[in-house]
Amino acid sequence: MRSAGNIQKNTGKRTSHDVLFSLCENAADRLILLLLLSGVLLFILWPIACIALRSLRGADGGVSFAMFDTVLHQYGESLRNSVFVGLFTAVLTTLLSLSAALCCATARGWRRTLAMLIMLVAMVSPPFVSSLAYIQLYGRRGWITYRLLHLSLNPYNRWGVILMQSLSFVPLNAMFLSGILEKLDEGSLRSARDLGAGGGAILRDIVLPLIRPATLVCLLLSFVRSLADFGTPIIIGGRFSTLAADIYLQVVGYSDLEKSSAMNMFLLVPSILFFFVYRALMRRSDKLTDASRAARGDLGLRLSRCGAMGWGAIALSLVFFVMIVLQYGCVFLSGFLKSTKGVYSFTLQYWRQLWQISASTMLRSIQYALIVSLAGTLFAMLFAYYMDRRRIPGRSLFDCLATLPYMLPGTCFGIGYILAFNHAPLKLTGTAFIVMANMLFKQLPTSTKICTASLALLPEVQERSARDLGAGRLAVLRDVVFPALRPAFLSCFVYNFTSSMTTAGSIIFLIDARRQLAVFKLFDAVYQGDYALASLIASVITVIVLLVEGLAYFIARKGEKRRVS
Amino acid sequence: MYLELDRLSKQFDGKYAVRELSLGLEKGGLLCILGSSGCGKTTTLNMIGGFLSPDSGRVLLDGQDITALPPERRPVSTVFQSYGLFPHMSVLQNVTYGLKFRRYSRAEAREKGRRYLELVGLADRENARIGELSGGQQQRVALARALIVEPKLCLLDEPLSNLDAALRVRMRGELKRIQRELGTTMVFVTHDQEEALILADSIAVMSEGELLQLGTAEEVFRHPANDYIASFLGLNDIVWQDDGRVLKVIRHGEKE
Repeated sequence: MRSAGNIQKNTGKRTSHDVLFSLCENAADRLILLLLLSGVLLFILWPIACIALRSLRGADGGVSFAMFDTVLHQYGESLRNSVFVGLFTAVLTTLLSLSAALCCATARGWRRTLAMLIMLVAMVSPPFVSSLAYIQLYGRRGWITYRLLHLSLNPYNRWGVILMQSLSFVPLNAMFLSGILEKLDEGSLRSARDLGAGGGAILRDIVLPLIRPATLVCLLLSFVRSLADFGTPIIIGGRFSTLAADIYLQVVGYSDLEKSSAMNMFLLVPSILFFFVYRALMRRSDKLTDASRAARGDLGLRLSRCGAMGWGAIALSLVFFVMIVLQYGCVFLSGFLKSTKGVYSFTLQYWRQLWQISASTMLRSIQYALIVSLAGTLFAMLFAYYMDRRRIPGRSLFDCLATLPYMLPGTCFGIGYILAFNHAPLKLTGTAFIVMANMLFKQLPTSTKICTASLALLPEVQERSARDLGAGRLAVLRDVVFPALRPAFLSCFVYNFTSSMTTAGSIIFLIDARRQLAVFKLFDAVYQGDYALASLIASVITVIVLLVEGLAYFIARKGEKRRVS
Repeated sequence: MYLELDRLSKQFDGKYAVRELSLGLEKGGLLCILGSSGCGKTTTLNMIGGFLSPDSGRVLLDGQDITALPPERRPVSTVFQSYGLFPHMSVLQNVTYGLKFRRYSRAEAREKGRRYLELVGLADRENARIGELSGGQQQRVALARALIVEPKLCLLDEPLSNLDAALRVRMRGELKRIQRELGTTMVFVTHDQEEALILADSIAVMSEGELLQLGTAEEVFRHPANDYIASFLGLNDIVWQDDGRVLKVIRHGEKE
């Protein structure tokens, strides 16, 4: 009796709730759309515009190009260095990424598992880790160069920067490329084999040409990332400096916003140009690959049977994997080792130090990351839906804007925020909100991409059926779209959490000194030569991210099982 | 026998996909493997093509045991269901790709490529990209590409299934004409009874990994080995051509 009454009451409530829901629906729908679009305009377009405007402001307040002259004159050397490092890093990163991706896509059994595991750890690790490990492994008192080989080298130069940038860019690029490799049409590979092509010929004639656009994207992205990276040259560049490093010093040291805006323009303009090349290349890549393969993950190729090119790829990726393992082994270990007169012993000294200094910082980082992940995922899901399924005017413009931060150097995005939100009515600098907004919008391109891909699997006819049966716009979102985006929610959440925990470039200028984040404690520790503490912070960040990822996948798998049963 | 399958077996996860399959085909003949989905016909084709190695049994072609040869070294070529064309190459480059591994000079290859494009009626599209072709044209490119290497055996995996009904009927005729013109030995996999009866010199009906009946179209139609085949064929009548070939199939429930 009691349960029957409950049911009745519940259904009654639901009905009135639904009526109310549908009444507010249209207004709410407009409001959401407005929020999404104004968010993108305000937090992406406006900051970029601010950099351009400020860099053109002359001493008298009029338009002037004088600042560019000053910058070119004063920082010409750094600019040339940036381009030099960018080119070498781009080529080296692409070669290593291609090899590692081919290895991951063709390996089987335990080799595949091991490679993926290494990639996973390398993907989630915080920035500066490679520089940190570089100093410890190959520095003046490095474990390898000094203790093992008894060399005394000066490792602080451009080649160190190039090598370390490449190492830290490879995991992301390799995962991107191996995603493309997985989408290759199995039929093409099979027919080539069937017509007599051996491994080497398949690699040369089919696989590489099909992923050529993606490879070019890899080159572009690595070049732009290298341009934007200030941490590596500051830490291991020694007297060698790049434009991004100078921008960092300029802002932190002198707070000269006019000059740093002009300096940023030299990074901003090529990035935006590259961005359009990137979009064209991705369209071309999508044309060459289609996700119609039945069996994913295995190309049916053996690199060892692909001739010289195959062996080259194996050798390069071995070098990469060994260096990465050394790097992380070194970082994980050195947090717990103490050296007294060259003899190492186990210690928890730094561990206690970590808790005293940075426990609250660590917690704040996690808190920010959680908020950004939830808000960012929701924003991306809604944005993807409204862009993909509603024919709103100016759709391609907004789509383009939302993807722009992907190619934008972090420092540009950060300084743009300072310029845009430094005065009334939008005085947001120094708040936690601006930091989180910056993270959210910097990560929006990838979040949106994940959601759009998932949305593509939802037939539009399902939405139409729901509308046809009487569901309003928001009811469609609630009952049809969100349930379909459940898998995207998870990957989006994990991506946002990882990035928020490890991002440095764009928020370094926005962080309030009283509200530090773990990555900057890490940066400070490395910068001040406190390598043991730095290693420990890096390890803890990595472990936290891996734990949260594991937890998220665990929950998702459990939820899936429940739905199935 | 030119092609001989000798007690071929293949298991997936302890379940037989193909079990003790033996059959033979004369040179220049067209064999249809007919069966509903999951009957093991594609597995069989993959074992002949070298993409799967059988757990036991042998594949003999022209007196040679090819069981252990990888696909690139078998004198066998395949027209895949999804065609597997190379989207980054032109039509002519696609068609001549296999000649790269057969000591042809570039000029010879182009020459021969054009001849085969003519054979399949695409002489004017040699420079087109694959994406610009219709489904039927892509199908012809795939066919030309498989035949140009003059394989001892050509395999076709449901090649007509992606085409619309009218085109399917036309391509059926084209396929038969080309096969006769070149005298190529072919194995053709399909789940379409009508297609099998019209195209095949002999038909192998498979179910659950086993061969139920092997015979000419007329034998299978007039004397189905068991009730399953009879009901699977579901035929009411067949209109025969003068030369003993099937012209049209009338199924149960269809009007004549």
